[in-house]
Amino acid sequence: MKKGIALLLICLLMLTACSSNSNSNSGSKNTGNAAADTGTAGNSATTAPAQAKEITIWAWDPAFNIAALEVAKAEYAKTNPDVKINIVEYAQNDIIQKLNTGLNSGTTKGLPNIVLIEDYRSQSFLQSYKDSFYDLSSSIKGSDFADYKAGPTSLDGKQYGIPFDSGVTGLYVRTDYLEQAGYKLADLQDIDWNKYIEIGKAVKEKTGKALITLDPNDLGLIRMMIQSAGEWYLKEDGKTPNIAGNAPLKEAFEIYKGLTDSNVANVHADWSQFVAALNSGDVASVPTGNWITPSITAEASQSGKWAIAPLPKLTANESVHASNLGGSSWYVMNVDGKETAADFMAKTFGSNVEMYQKLLTDIGVIGTFKAAAGGEAYGQANEFFGGQKVVSDFAAWTEQIPSVNYGINTYAIEDILIVEMQNYLNGKDIDSVLSDAQAQAESQIK
Amino acid sequence: MKKTNSSVSIRTKSVLTGWSFVLLAVILIFVFYFYPMLQALILSFQTGTGSNLTFTGFDNYSRLLSDKTFITSVKNTFIYLLVQVPLMIVLALFISVLLNDSKLKFKGFFRTAIFLPCVTSLVAYSVVFKYLFAGNGLVNTMLLKLHLVSAPIEWITDPFWAKITIIIAITWRWTGYNMIFYLSALQNIDSSIYEAARIDGASASRQFFGITVPLLKPIILFTSITSTIGTLQLFDEVMNITKGGPGNATQTISQYIYNLSFKYSADFGYAATVSYSIVIMIALLSVIQFKVAGDKNG
Repeated sequence: MKKGIALLLICLLMLTACSSNSNSNSGSKNTGNAAADTGTAGNSATTAPAQAKEITIWAWDPAFNIAALEVAKAEYAKTNPDVKINIVEYAQNDIIQKLNTGLNSGTTKGLPNIVLIEDYRSQSFLQSYKDSFYDLSSSIKGSDFADYKAGPTSLDGKQYGIPFDSGVTGLYVRTDYLEQAGYKLADLQDIDWNKYIEIGKAVKEKTGKALITLDPNDLGLIRMMIQSAGEWYLKEDGKTPNIAGNAPLKEAFEIYKGLTDSNVANVHADWSQFVAALNSGDVASVPTGNWITPSITAEASQSGKWAIAPLPKLTANESVHASNLGGSSWYVMNVDGKETAADFMAKTFGSNVEMYQKLLTDIGVIGTFKAAAGGEAYGQANEFFGGQKVVSDFAAWTEQIPSVNYGINTYAIEDILIVEMQNYLNGKDIDSVLSDAQAQAESQIK
Repeated sequence: MKKTNSSVSIRTKSVLTGWSFVLLAVILIFVFYFYPMLQALILSFQTGTGSNLTFTGFDNYSRLLSDKTFITSVKNTFIYLLVQVPLMIVLALFISVLLNDSKLKFKGFFRTAIFLPCVTSLVAYSVVFKYLFAGNGLVNTMLLKLHLVSAPIEWITDPFWAKITIIIAITWRWTGYNMIFYLSALQNIDSSIYEAARIDGASASRQFFGITVPLLKPIILFTSITSTIGTLQLFDEVMNITKGGPGNATQTISQYIYNLSFKYSADFGYAATVSYSIVIMIALLSVIQFKVAGDKNG
């Protein structure tokens, strides 16, 4: 009797172990996430070899990216009603983990057809997993999109990504605090960061409010500053660390220290505290990507109190009043259903000017599709920002963003710099800060 | 003759039955423990991003020794180990002795209250701690209201206080767990021993150091080894409360492995090497603990 039970158990084990190898089973052995449903895309390929009937897309942020996908899905359904599009929401970190583990395991099962990847990370995926992404050169034209997007989304002359949202930056300011300190929005039009700190001191003195809020674990401000001068943590080859002797980076560090030393900075630890600092009225300004707009406008009681000025610039002569922070693009995976996925992308985000107007008015997405900027939605005034035509301002700044090669090591180098920044703030000499960071980056990046 | 035959066949039968039971576990252990461990070892000799891996021999291991971030992570982990583990074990021992007092009322309530943290989700409690210790969080508000501090303490954004926050968090979470072991061991100590000690005039502290601690020695060894292993693998709290920051001030080895694999550019080879460094450290520390605290049959 006991033996019988043992045998039964072993048989059960063998069965479950084997079933994970079979590729016909579509039911219970799925990995447990909705993405495993992509298996059905493979199934339908047997009946209709050219066009898959179902594609799966992974993205993060329901209010922004997912909402944009829903618009695109509805748009595509007008011409292709028989294609089923599954939109799966994951946190960005989860997508990175799932992609890395999925691609590394060598099996394409469980991967989506289309995935959203942040521009800073895209080259790391494209270069680390060659052949895992589908070449879209025949579906879309890279030159149809903002120039600075070309670096992250292409590799070896092939276009792999559909450039999506712009990470174009602006200086969001509380005009009421500015006025109390004796400044107007016009005073912020062509300033450098030193002037910005000066204004901050006046604001602090008159209103008691902090000028800016900083997260010691996030050097986004430094990234914005150096890109505005056309520099990055890496040289143009995307491989050689460019830290020691990088004049804009040095100046950016000095400005960061200036902000903390002059006591105009508030400190926050994560995203929710960041947004809370803005919405509670504790800080007078935020230099950041335009994607912050929905979070700022969420606090309806502050309507009319905010405005957006161009980003201050570095004194380095290369620097402009425009930069990028974040921003992401769509990538088609080289798995069954890639033709359908590419078609979906080409007909929506790759060409549909009308759809971009809708994305802007309904969701607030500023795309990077050049032709869309001519649309009427881009010229509308925004009452929350005192009637300012914020989108056309952003669109104009988008064109000025200097193009840099993010390479594959942005976050690895940034972690080194975060530590050195702490040392610098604690009194270490700036040149040794940068040369130490350079040495460490060289030993770590191979 | 017939008798021996049947006994052999019975023995073979029982051996076979035994193996058929064990076989399941053996297969599972080989497939899910030894195979991945071997794969990880092989991986630790490879470098490259993502799937572009090449064999580079001991390159990763030599890189380990010159890697400042790794060294900082090891230092941080050992600070937690040296401060938190003794603190927690003494605390657990102290609480368990108090709770073992036969005169104590509402024992069940106190035991449950102190054990309760151990059944909460790691991520959930970490998130709660993050908010409690935020710049404008409950802890700072209370300290300010009680006039214990004049300005809010930067629990999460200051390198020193961030470490303290992590130590407070893991102590809260794990003390009750160790307490349960001590409590069960204490209940196995015959009360007549204490009675005899009292008759001989031994004070409470004399009883504690002379009877309780020596008799609990094997359990103390066990809890210190499991706590050491747990601390060397510390991840959830740091990831969720401070993300390793500010700078690398609270980063642990496990979090560095995560960063190498997922935050940076998918360097799985080097991440495997760092993982093996933890294996080596745990093995060494456990041997030392056995030598120092264990006796021959322990």
